[in-house]
Amino acid sequence: MPPAYLLDLPATPYAEALAMQRAAAAARRDGRLDRDLIILVEHPPVFTLGRRGGRENLLITASELRTKGIAVIPVERGGDITYHGPGQLVVYPLIDLNAAAIRVVDLVTALEAAMVQTAAHWGVTARGDTVHRGAWVGSRKLGSVGITVRRGVSFHGLALNATTDLTPFDWINPCGIQACRMTSLARETDRPVDMAKVRRRMADHLGRLLRLPLTSATLEDLAPMVREAA
Amino acid sequence: MKDIEELQFPDDVRYSKDHEWARPEGDLFVVGISDYAQDQLGDIVFVELPETGRELQQNEEFGSVESVKAVSELFAPLAGTVMEVNGALDDAPEKVNQEPYSDGWMMKIKPADKADFEALMDRDAYLAMLKG
Repeated sequence: MPPAYLLDLPATPYAEALAMQRAAAAARRDGRLDRDLIILVEHPPVFTLGRRGGRENLLITASELRTKGIAVIPVERGGDITYHGPGQLVVYPLIDLNAAAIRVVDLVTALEAAMVQTAAHWGVTARGDTVHRGAWVGSRKLGSVGITVRRGVSFHGLALNATTDLTPFDWINPCGIQACRMTSLARETDRPVDMAKVRRRMADHLGRLLRLPLTSATLEDLAPMVREAA
Repeated sequence: MKDIEELQFPDDVRYSKDHEWARPEGDLFVVGISDYAQDQLGDIVFVELPETGRELQQNEEFGSVESVKAVSELFAPLAGTVMEVNGALDDAPEKVNQEPYSDGWMMKIKPADKADFEALMDRDAYLAMLKG
Protein backbone atom coordinates (compact mmCIF):
# COMPACT_ATOMS: atom_id res chain seq x y z
CA MET A 1 0.00 0.00 0.00
CA PRO A 2 1.15 3.57 -0.63
CA PRO A 3 1.49 5.48 2.64
CA ALA A 4 -1.49 7.31 4.12
CA TYR A 5 -1.26 10.88 5.37
CA LEU A 6 -1.18 11.45 9.12
CA LEU A 7 -2.56 14.83 10.18
CA ASP A 8 -1.80 15.57 13.84
CA LEU A 9 -4.03 18.49 14.76
CA PRO A 10 -4.15 20.59 17.92
CA ALA A 11 -7.50 21.02 19.72
CA THR A 12 -10.07 21.96 17.08
CA PRO A 13 -13.77 22.86 17.47
CA TYR A 14 -15.93 19.86 16.58
CA ALA A 15 -17.92 21.59 13.83
CA GLU A 16 -14.74 22.76 12.14
CA ALA A 17 -13.22 19.28 12.21
CA LEU A 18 -16.49 17.79 10.93
CA ALA A 19 -16.51 20.13 7.93
CA MET A 20 -12.89 19.17 7.25
CA GLN A 21 -13.72 15.45 7.46
CA ARG A 22 -16.65 15.75 5.09
CA ALA A 23 -14.61 17.74 2.58
CA ALA A 24 -11.66 15.35 2.81
CA ALA A 25 -13.90 12.27 2.46
CA ALA A 26 -15.44 13.77 -0.70
CA ALA A 27 -11.97 14.60 -2.01
CA ARG A 28 -10.75 11.07 -1.29
CA ARG A 29 -13.75 9.62 -3.09
CA ASP A 30 -13.17 11.52 -6.31
CA GLY A 31 -9.41 11.17 -6.16
CA ARG A 32 -8.40 14.79 -5.47
CA LEU A 33 -7.01 13.53 -2.19
CA ASP A 34 -4.59 10.94 -3.54
CA ARG A 35 -4.06 8.91 -0.34
CA ASP A 36 -5.98 7.79 2.72
CA LEU A 37 -5.84 10.15 5.67
CA ILE A 38 -5.71 9.58 9.43
CA ILE A 39 -6.56 12.64 11.52
CA LEU A 40 -5.60 12.88 15.22
CA VAL A 41 -7.37 15.65 17.13
CA GLU A 42 -8.95 16.76 20.40
CA HIS A 43 -12.14 18.77 20.71
CA PRO A 44 -13.39 21.39 23.17
CA PRO A 45 -16.40 20.00 25.12
CA VAL A 46 -19.29 18.90 22.88
CA PHE A 47 -22.00 16.24 22.81
CA THR A 48 -22.70 14.52 19.49
CA LEU A 49 -25.69 12.38 18.52
CA GLY A 50 -25.41 9.37 16.19
CA ARG A 51 -27.48 8.81 13.08
CA ARG A 52 -30.24 7.19 15.07
CA GLY A 53 -30.38 10.06 17.53
CA GLY A 54 -29.82 9.53 21.20
CA ARG A 55 -31.25 12.81 22.53
CA GLU A 56 -33.30 10.73 24.99
CA ASN A 57 -29.98 9.69 26.51
CA LEU A 58 -29.12 13.30 27.29
CA LEU A 59 -29.93 13.70 30.97
CA ILE A 60 -29.63 17.46 31.43
CA THR A 61 -31.85 20.27 30.16
CA ALA A 62 -31.22 22.70 27.32
CA SER A 63 -30.76 25.55 29.80
CA GLU A 64 -28.19 23.57 31.80
CA LEU A 65 -26.35 22.92 28.54
CA ARG A 66 -26.35 26.62 27.73
CA THR A 67 -25.03 27.43 31.19
CA LYS A 68 -22.20 24.97 30.70
CA GLY A 69 -21.62 26.22 27.16
CA ILE A 70 -21.75 22.75 25.60
CA ALA A 71 -23.38 22.28 22.19
CA VAL A 72 -25.23 19.16 21.00
CA ILE A 73 -24.46 18.32 17.38
CA PRO A 74 -26.29 15.62 15.40
CA VAL A 75 -23.97 13.77 13.04
CA GLU A 76 -24.18 10.94 10.52
CA ARG A 77 -21.99 8.38 12.30
CA GLY A 78 -23.12 5.06 13.75
CA GLY A 79 -23.71 4.77 17.47
CA ASP A 80 -25.60 6.88 20.00
CA ILE A 81 -24.83 9.99 22.05
CA THR A 82 -21.27 10.65 23.17
CA TYR A 83 -19.10 13.35 24.66
CA HIS A 84 -15.84 14.79 23.37
CA GLY A 85 -13.58 17.05 25.40
CA PRO A 86 -9.99 17.98 26.19
CA GLY A 87 -7.74 15.04 27.06
CA GLN A 88 -9.68 12.70 24.80
CA LEU A 89 -7.83 11.55 21.68
CA VAL A 90 -10.15 11.50 18.68
CA VAL A 91 -9.05 9.68 15.52
CA TYR A 92 -10.71 10.00 12.14
CA PRO A 93 -9.67 7.39 9.54
CA LEU A 94 -10.63 8.59 6.06
CA ILE A 95 -10.00 5.45 4.06
CA ASP A 96 -11.06 4.30 0.61
CA LEU A 97 -12.14 0.92 1.96
CA ASN A 98 -12.44 -0.84 -1.40
CA ALA A 99 -8.99 0.26 -2.50
CA ALA A 100 -7.48 -0.69 0.86
CA ALA A 101 -9.45 -3.99 0.89
CA ILE A 102 -10.68 -3.28 4.41
CA ARG A 103 -14.22 -4.33 5.32
CA VAL A 104 -16.39 -1.95 7.36
CA VAL A 105 -16.61 -4.46 10.19
CA ASP A 106 -12.83 -4.96 10.14
CA LEU A 107 -12.25 -1.21 10.39
CA VAL A 108 -14.40 -1.09 13.53
CA THR A 109 -12.44 -4.02 14.98
CA ALA A 110 -9.11 -2.37 14.10
CA LEU A 111 -10.17 0.87 15.82
CA GLU A 112 -11.01 -1.10 18.96
CA ALA A 113 -7.70 -2.96 18.79
CA ALA A 114 -5.73 0.28 18.35
CA MET A 115 -7.24 1.60 21.59
CA VAL A 116 -6.55 -1.67 23.42
CA GLN A 117 -2.92 -1.76 22.24
CA THR A 118 -2.39 1.91 23.05
CA ALA A 119 -3.75 1.40 26.57
CA ALA A 120 -1.31 -1.48 27.11
CA HIS A 121 1.61 0.98 27.02
CA TRP A 122 0.31 2.40 30.28
CA GLY A 123 -0.16 -1.07 31.78
CA VAL A 124 -3.93 -0.88 31.29
CA THR A 125 -5.59 -4.11 30.14
CA ALA A 126 -8.53 -3.28 27.90
CA ARG A 127 -10.50 -5.42 25.48
CA GLY A 128 -12.84 -4.95 22.53
CA ASP A 129 -16.41 -6.25 22.49
CA THR A 130 -18.21 -7.47 19.38
CA VAL A 131 -21.64 -6.56 20.81
CA HIS A 132 -21.00 -3.39 22.82
CA ARG A 133 -18.33 -2.00 20.53
CA GLY A 134 -15.56 0.00 22.17
CA ALA A 135 -12.54 -0.51 24.41
CA TRP A 136 -13.44 -1.75 27.88
CA VAL A 137 -11.52 -2.07 31.13
CA GLY A 138 -13.65 -4.55 33.05
CA SER A 139 -17.12 -3.03 32.79
CA ARG A 140 -15.80 0.51 32.35
CA LYS A 141 -15.62 2.07 28.92
CA LEU A 142 -12.26 3.57 27.98
CA GLY A 143 -12.98 4.41 24.37
CA SER A 144 -15.76 4.53 21.79
CA VAL A 145 -16.10 3.87 18.07
CA GLY A 146 -18.61 5.12 15.51
CA ILE A 147 -18.00 5.39 11.79
CA THR A 148 -19.77 6.38 8.61
CA VAL A 149 -19.14 5.04 5.12
CA ARG A 150 -20.12 7.40 2.32
CA ARG A 151 -19.56 6.08 -1.20
CA GLY A 152 -16.88 3.70 0.00
CA VAL A 153 -14.89 6.20 2.10
CA SER A 154 -14.94 5.96 5.90
CA PHE A 155 -15.03 8.91 8.27
CA HIS A 156 -15.77 9.60 11.94
CA GLY A 157 -13.84 7.03 14.00
CA LEU A 158 -12.76 6.56 17.60
CA ALA A 159 -12.47 8.50 20.85
CA LEU A 160 -10.07 7.34 23.57
CA ASN A 161 -10.23 8.92 27.03
CA ALA A 162 -6.63 9.66 28.02
CA THR A 163 -6.82 12.40 30.62
CA THR A 164 -10.44 13.43 29.97
CA ASP A 165 -12.48 15.00 32.77
CA LEU A 166 -15.23 12.35 32.85
CA THR A 167 -17.85 14.49 34.63
CA PRO A 168 -19.80 15.38 31.45
CA PHE A 169 -20.39 11.67 30.82
CA ASP A 170 -22.57 11.73 33.95
CA TRP A 171 -24.95 14.00 32.05
CA ILE A 172 -25.66 11.35 29.38
CA ASN A 173 -26.21 7.61 29.05
CA PRO A 174 -23.06 7.12 27.02
CA CYS A 175 -23.46 4.89 23.96
CA GLY A 176 -27.15 4.59 24.79
CA ILE A 177 -26.47 2.03 27.50
CA GLN A 178 -27.82 2.84 30.93
CA ALA A 179 -25.31 2.63 33.74
CA CYS A 180 -22.45 2.55 31.26
CA ARG A 181 -19.51 3.81 33.35
CA MET A 182 -16.72 5.64 31.57
CA THR A 183 -13.07 5.61 32.48
CA SER A 184 -9.80 7.09 31.25
CA LEU A 185 -6.18 6.00 30.94
CA ALA A 186 -5.25 8.45 33.70
CA ARG A 187 -7.81 6.88 36.01
CA GLU A 188 -6.67 3.31 35.28
CA THR A 189 -2.90 3.81 35.58
CA ASP A 190 -0.44 5.25 38.08
CA ARG A 191 1.91 6.28 35.29
CA PRO A 192 1.87 9.79 33.86
CA VAL A 193 -0.27 10.08 30.72
CA ASP A 194 1.29 12.43 28.22
CA MET A 195 -1.06 13.29 25.36
CA ALA A 196 1.71 13.64 22.75
CA LYS A 197 2.82 10.11 23.62
CA VAL A 198 -0.75 8.77 23.43
CA ARG A 199 -1.01 10.29 19.96
CA ARG A 200 2.25 8.66 18.83
CA ARG A 201 1.34 5.24 20.17
CA MET A 202 -2.13 5.41 18.63
CA ALA A 203 -0.76 6.34 15.20
CA ASP A 204 1.79 3.51 15.34
CA HIS A 205 -0.76 0.88 16.28
CA LEU A 206 -3.48 2.03 13.93
CA GLY A 207 -1.10 2.20 10.98
CA ARG A 208 0.13 -1.31 11.70
CA LEU A 209 -3.38 -2.73 12.24
CA LEU A 210 -4.67 -1.22 9.01
CA ARG A 211 -1.43 -2.04 7.17
CA LEU A 212 -1.14 1.61 6.20
CA PRO A 213 2.32 3.14 6.52
CA LEU A 214 1.80 6.73 7.70
CA THR A 215 3.56 9.84 6.51
CA SER A 216 3.09 13.13 8.35
CA ALA A 217 1.25 15.90 6.55
CA THR A 218 0.11 19.40 7.50
CA LEU A 219 -3.12 21.25 6.81
CA GLU A 220 -1.17 23.34 4.31
CA ASP A 221 -0.08 20.17 2.46
CA LEU A 222 -3.63 18.86 2.27
CA ALA A 223 -5.65 22.03 1.67
CA PRO A 224 -5.04 22.22 -2.11
CA MET A 225 -6.24 18.61 -2.50
CA VAL A 226 -9.24 18.95 -0.25
CA ARG A 227 -10.52 22.36 -1.34
CA GLU A 228 -13.66 22.16 -3.46
CA ALA A 229 -12.97 22.70 -7.15
CA ALA A 230 -14.03 26.27 -7.95
CA MET B 1 -13.67 -11.43 4.26
CA LYS B 2 -15.17 -13.81 1.74
CA ASP B 3 -13.53 -14.25 -1.63
CA ILE B 4 -15.45 -12.75 -4.51
CA GLU B 5 -15.94 -16.32 -5.77
CA GLU B 6 -17.89 -17.25 -2.62
CA LEU B 7 -20.37 -14.41 -3.05
CA GLN B 8 -23.58 -14.54 -5.06
CA PHE B 9 -24.07 -12.26 -8.06
CA PRO B 10 -27.29 -13.18 -9.86
CA ASP B 11 -27.59 -12.17 -13.50
CA ASP B 12 -31.26 -11.08 -13.32
CA VAL B 13 -30.31 -7.81 -11.60
CA ARG B 14 -28.07 -4.90 -12.55
CA TYR B 15 -25.56 -3.28 -10.23
CA SER B 16 -24.44 0.27 -9.38
CA LYS B 17 -20.90 1.30 -8.50
CA ASP B 18 -22.13 1.95 -4.95
CA HIS B 19 -23.11 -1.75 -4.69
CA GLU B 20 -26.87 -1.43 -4.96
CA TRP B 21 -28.80 -3.72 -7.32
CA ALA B 22 -32.06 -3.21 -9.25
CA ARG B 23 -34.39 -5.83 -10.74
CA PRO B 24 -37.37 -5.14 -13.04
CA GLU B 25 -40.75 -6.20 -11.59
CA GLY B 26 -43.68 -5.17 -13.79
CA ASP B 27 -43.51 -1.39 -14.14
CA LEU B 28 -41.32 -1.07 -11.06
CA PHE B 29 -37.76 -1.84 -10.06
CA VAL B 30 -36.88 -3.62 -6.84
CA VAL B 31 -33.72 -2.26 -5.16
CA GLY B 32 -31.36 -3.75 -2.59
CA ILE B 33 -27.64 -4.07 -1.81
CA SER B 34 -25.31 -6.69 -3.25
CA ASP B 35 -23.88 -9.72 -1.49
CA TYR B 36 -20.51 -7.98 -1.64
CA ALA B 37 -21.95 -4.92 0.15
CA GLN B 38 -23.58 -6.93 2.95
CA ASP B 39 -20.40 -8.97 3.44
CA GLN B 40 -18.37 -5.76 3.82
CA LEU B 41 -20.72 -4.46 6.52
CA GLY B 42 -20.88 -7.40 8.87
CA ASP B 43 -24.05 -8.03 10.91
CA ILE B 44 -26.66 -5.43 10.02
CA VAL B 45 -28.66 -4.19 13.01
CA PHE B 46 -30.74 -1.40 11.47
CA VAL B 47 -31.97 -0.39 8.03
CA GLU B 48 -33.20 3.16 7.44
CA LEU B 49 -35.49 3.40 4.40
CA PRO B 50 -37.22 6.35 2.69
CA GLU B 51 -40.89 7.34 2.92
CA THR B 52 -43.08 6.00 0.14
CA GLY B 53 -43.89 8.72 -2.36
CA ARG B 54 -40.44 10.26 -2.14
CA GLU B 55 -38.90 11.31 -5.45
CA LEU B 56 -35.30 10.18 -5.78
CA GLN B 57 -32.65 11.37 -8.20
CA GLN B 58 -30.20 8.82 -9.53
CA ASN B 59 -27.33 8.40 -7.03
CA GLU B 60 -29.23 10.36 -4.36
CA GLU B 61 -28.92 9.05 -0.81
CA PHE B 62 -32.10 7.13 0.08
CA GLY B 63 -31.28 5.59 3.44
CA SER B 64 -28.60 3.75 5.37
CA VAL B 65 -27.68 0.42 6.84
CA GLU B 66 -26.10 0.22 10.26
CA SER B 67 -23.90 -2.61 11.35
CA VAL B 68 -22.75 -2.20 14.94
CA LYS B 69 -21.35 1.35 15.25
CA ALA B 70 -20.99 1.73 11.49
CA VAL B 71 -23.44 3.57 9.28
CA SER B 72 -23.20 3.05 5.53
CA GLU B 73 -25.21 5.33 3.31
CA LEU B 74 -27.34 3.98 0.45
CA PHE B 75 -27.66 5.55 -2.99
CA ALA B 76 -30.47 5.16 -5.49
CA PRO B 77 -29.30 3.18 -8.54
CA LEU B 78 -32.00 4.84 -10.64
CA ALA B 79 -34.23 7.89 -10.45
CA GLY B 80 -37.92 7.56 -9.65
CA THR B 81 -40.64 7.50 -7.03
CA VAL B 82 -40.51 5.24 -3.99
CA MET B 83 -43.68 3.09 -4.23
CA GLU B 84 -43.03 0.58 -1.44
CA VAL B 85 -40.37 -0.18 1.16
CA ASN B 86 -39.60 -3.49 2.86
CA GLY B 87 -41.12 -2.97 6.31
CA ALA B 88 -40.05 -6.48 7.36
CA LEU B 89 -36.49 -5.16 7.71
CA ASP B 90 -37.57 -3.11 10.77
CA ASP B 91 -37.79 -6.29 12.82
CA ALA B 92 -35.43 -8.46 10.79
CA PRO B 93 -32.58 -6.35 9.37
CA GLU B 94 -30.47 -9.53 9.25
CA LYS B 95 -32.44 -10.54 6.14
CA VAL B 96 -30.15 -8.17 4.24
CA ASN B 97 -27.18 -10.32 5.30
CA GLN B 98 -28.96 -13.60 4.70
CA GLU B 99 -30.92 -12.99 1.48
CA PRO B 100 -29.69 -9.75 -0.06
CA TYR B 101 -31.42 -10.38 -3.41
CA SER B 102 -34.77 -11.70 -2.15
CA ASP B 103 -36.13 -11.17 1.39
CA GLY B 104 -33.53 -8.47 2.00
CA TRP B 105 -34.87 -6.14 -0.73
CA MET B 106 -35.21 -2.51 0.35
CA MET B 107 -37.58 -0.54 -1.87
CA LYS B 108 -39.58 -0.58 -5.08
CA ILE B 109 -39.18 2.39 -7.40
CA LYS B 110 -41.36 3.62 -10.27
CA PRO B 111 -38.61 4.74 -12.63
CA ALA B 112 -38.43 8.22 -14.09
CA ASP B 113 -36.55 6.80 -17.07
CA LYS B 114 -36.14 3.08 -17.68
CA ALA B 115 -32.93 3.81 -19.57
CA ASP B 116 -31.27 4.36 -16.16
CA PHE B 117 -31.54 0.61 -15.63
CA GLU B 118 -29.84 -0.27 -18.90
CA ALA B 119 -26.93 1.98 -17.94
CA LEU B 120 -26.24 -0.03 -14.76
CA MET B 121 -23.62 -2.77 -14.74
CA ASP B 122 -24.48 -6.34 -15.62
CA ARG B 123 -23.02 -9.18 -13.56
CA ASP B 124 -19.80 -9.44 -15.54
CA ALA B 125 -19.12 -5.69 -15.49
CA TYR B 126 -19.81 -5.53 -11.74
CA LEU B 127 -17.53 -8.51 -11.05
CA ALA B 128 -14.82 -6.87 -13.15
CA MET B 129 -15.17 -3.69 -11.05
CA LEU B 130 -14.96 -5.67 -7.78
CA LYS B 131 -11.85 -7.49 -8.91
CA GLY B 132 -10.36 -4.11 -9.84
